[in-house]
Amino acid sequence: MRRTLQSSGARLAISAVTLAVLSGCASVSLEQNVSRVNDEASSFTEKKLALSRTEQERKERADAAQALLTQPLGQREAVQLALVNSPSLQALLAQGWAESADAAQIGRIANPIFSYERMVAGDELEIGRALSFGLLDLLTLPTRQGISRYRIEQSQLRLTSEVVDQVTQVRQAWVRAVAAQQTLRYARQVYESAEATSEIARRMQAAGNFSRISRAREQAFYADAATRLATANHQATATREELVRRLGLDEAQAPLLKLPERLPDLPKQAMDPQTAGSYATRNRLDIRLAQTNFEAYAKSQGLTTVTSLTDIELTARRNTKTDSATGSRSDPRGYEIGVRLPIFDWGGMQRDAMSARTLAAANQLEATIRAAGSSLRESYSGYRTAYDVARHHRDEVVPLRKVISDENQLRYNGMIIGVFELLADARDQVNTVIAAINTEQQFWLADAALQASLIGRPTSTTLSAAAPPSGAAAAGH
Amino acid sequence: MTSRRDFFKLAGVAGGAVAAASVSRVAMAALPEPVIQTSPDTMAPLVPNSGRPYNPVVTLNGWTLPWRMNQGVKEFHLVAEPVVREMAPGFKAHLWGYNGQSPGPTLEVVEGDRVRIFVTNKLPEHTSIHWHGQRLPNGMDGVAGLNQPAIQPGKTFVYEFVARRPGTFMYHPHADEMTQMAMGMMGFWVTHPKVKNPLIDEVQRDFCFLLNAFDIDPGSYTPKIMTMLDFNLWSWNSRIFPGIDSLNVRLNDKVRIRIGNLTMTNHPIHLHGHEFLVTGTDGGPTPKSTRWYEVTTDVAVGQMRQVEFLADEEGDWAFHCHKSHHTMNAMGHNLPTLIGVDHRGLSKKINNLIPDYMVMGERGMADMTEMEMPIPDNTAPMMTGEGPFGSVEMGGMFSVLKVRRDQKPGDYKDPGWFKHPEGTVAHEYEGPLSEPARFKAEGGQSMPRAQTPSQPTEVKVRKPQSHSGH
Repeated sequence: MRRTLQSSGARLAISAVTLAVLSGCASVSLEQNVSRVNDEASSFTEKKLALSRTEQERKERADAAQALLTQPLGQREAVQLALVNSPSLQALLAQGWAESADAAQIGRIANPIFSYERMVAGDELEIGRALSFGLLDLLTLPTRQGISRYRIEQSQLRLTSEVVDQVTQVRQAWVRAVAAQQTLRYARQVYESAEATSEIARRMQAAGNFSRISRAREQAFYADAATRLATANHQATATREELVRRLGLDEAQAPLLKLPERLPDLPKQAMDPQTAGSYATRNRLDIRLAQTNFEAYAKSQGLTTVTSLTDIELTARRNTKTDSATGSRSDPRGYEIGVRLPIFDWGGMQRDAMSARTLAAANQLEATIRAAGSSLRESYSGYRTAYDVARHHRDEVVPLRKVISDENQLRYNGMIIGVFELLADARDQVNTVIAAINTEQQFWLADAALQASLIGRPTSTTLSAAAPPSGAAAAGH
Repeated sequence: MTSRRDFFKLAGVAGGAVAAASVSRVAMAALPEPVIQTSPDTMAPLVPNSGRPYNPVVTLNGWTLPWRMNQGVKEFHLVAEPVVREMAPGFKAHLWGYNGQSPGPTLEVVEGDRVRIFVTNKLPEHTSIHWHGQRLPNGMDGVAGLNQPAIQPGKTFVYEFVARRPGTFMYHPHADEMTQMAMGMMGFWVTHPKVKNPLIDEVQRDFCFLLNAFDIDPGSYTPKIMTMLDFNLWSWNSRIFPGIDSLNVRLNDKVRIRIGNLTMTNHPIHLHGHEFLVTGTDGGPTPKSTRWYEVTTDVAVGQMRQVEFLADEEGDWAFHCHKSHHTMNAMGHNLPTLIGVDHRGLSKKINNLIPDYMVMGERGMADMTEMEMPIPDNTAPMMTGEGPFGSVEMGGMFSVLKVRRDQKPGDYKDPGWFKHPEGTVAHEYEGPLSEPARFKAEGGQSMPRAQTPSQPTEVKVRKPQSHSGH
């Protein structure tokens, strides 16, 4: 009797250990998550992404940020700074960790239930002990662990996508901020020219050489230029602050932010469409995300077929019955199996829902695969067009304006045109430079969008037509 | 009969002129060989060695076309063609002209000559020649469509008439006239008197030139042919100062200058140091009773004037159109006046934007000649010309009459600058200078104004260096 009791206890213990081992397979850690993102998106993160939990780690990150802030911040450095400094990226990592942990939970078995009952009936005392667990839970464990793995995979891919998103936004914010600052510098030149023009006009009226209307015409342009300078000033502030937010700079860090004088030069050659296409098909995040989603649902479907119909509960039972009147004592042992009878609910709805979800996921996967090529082609076209337009401005438009400017200088020297025409032309030239900066900005925005698209995070690029020099109308006088 | 050898001899006389080899000799067997001039210089007078004798003219920056006598008929050959004309050193224009130059060569004949002129059209469009001022048969007058069919490209026409009256004439196209004149198609014609004419004096020097104007955008070569009045180059024989040769004469020479106007405006031609008589117009010699002395004569559009004077004052005398903008080269017509406008503090601001900017016009336009800044290619400066005492700050229709004691008869070479006798040049006064007493005008006005101006006008002298106004 004692032996049997011992053996049944041993069996329980073995089961418990087995469960613990099995459930241990489906666990997930923060480090796993972060290194997964760093591997997947190494071109974006350069493996520098880390979530800090301790004071020491936080301090290391702060020091790294401080070091990056001592130099003018290039685009690459801006991304690095966001990775070490941005609290929203940290939040994203923490959230990703939570999501993975939740997903891992699916692969664990529910804890067994121990029940103890004590019944007294007259002289009779009955003590019942039962250890019960869901038998189906145990039987389906391998399947559920499979699902769990897909869910973890999914949550990690989603995290990577979001990191890619954030990095893309940092890049684009950086491009806008640098371009706005560059534009501001030229807007100031236009303003200065307008100011000089207006001052000459004022002095000309004072000397009696200009009528009031002629002077007013020159001054009207000056007034417009002042408005445009103010707008450009705000634009520079707004884009800088956008970047500050993306980098997650605090009040102390923000004033330290220094940007380079100008946007980087255009690459010598644009990425050709073959390279872009082949790079993209290998490793797209969006397709893999849809794929794991589908697989998780497909896996769940088999499980649901069983669990929707019934539930089996296995209980090991050992009772002790004592009769104080007779002094007798008995220890009945046994087990009981509880099966939920599918009388009212044969689980059809659950299975339908599951099939529908699997079907949806399958179609979602198909849709993602089909859209992937198209959105990449669009991104590439945006990138390529922006590149060609920016190059055209750099190689054709700006040099042409330079020729016009040089020739106007010669014409001024020969007293063929006057100082006002010369200044109007100078303003035109500056406006052309501003338009050229605009095209460069568009290129770098499109470049960031293409990088994200290649890794499988389609980002739309809207190209705006380069604004014509706004001084053109004013050049008539 | 004149042989080809005579032609080359004549070509030699005309100084650097060459017979055209581009026209097939077989095709041209019946025609006099066309002679082409490659130099824009003033050529020595072409003394006639066939036909009736006469006293030849000198075409300013031009030449006289050689001819051949063919059974008593004087034969010329004009070739209408695109030419490159140097209008001033360093500035060339793509024009249309005759026989290598614009204007074409001067045709010189004698009263009563039967003249036969072959005209070959090498232009891209049809043309014709009108013999401006001549008495001739109606069918020879050269108005395309009215008197004759137009001469199509590649075709040769022949004109033949007798030069009936002596005088000064011109020739120019009368087909697509605005284009062809704007492109420089024109030439001079002189008919010398056959016998002594009481109204035509013998002279020692006889110059001729045409007034013409072009609109060539600075930096370009071809005239704008649609320009009506706003020309920017005012030229004599398609040359602009400082590209116009001086008129070099011997002291006490009797000088005749013949001027024809083929621009779109009148030109008051003015000579310094002498008075002249207008001795001829489009209609021929003027009656003596109508002549009076003057120093400026207005040559209206399409007119000719012949002036004569005795060059009895030694020196270098300016000779120019008195419309002051006609003694300028290409310039802006819409420039603001900057005189008296202080630029202190502004130049630096402008230099930030336009590094090569220099202030000009604060004192006047002479800054232009003083600064010598680069100007567009193929453009003559607005005003220039280095004289013995500095820049003469001129352009366009300006030249110099040089009267010299030691100039040899028949010698047209430039004698250089005049050497002034001691004490005959204006010089700086170095004695004391008192403020002039300003005279208050006594006059009033003819009638009172209906509305009284709010502020009475007070006339006072503005000192140019004053910046008090601002």
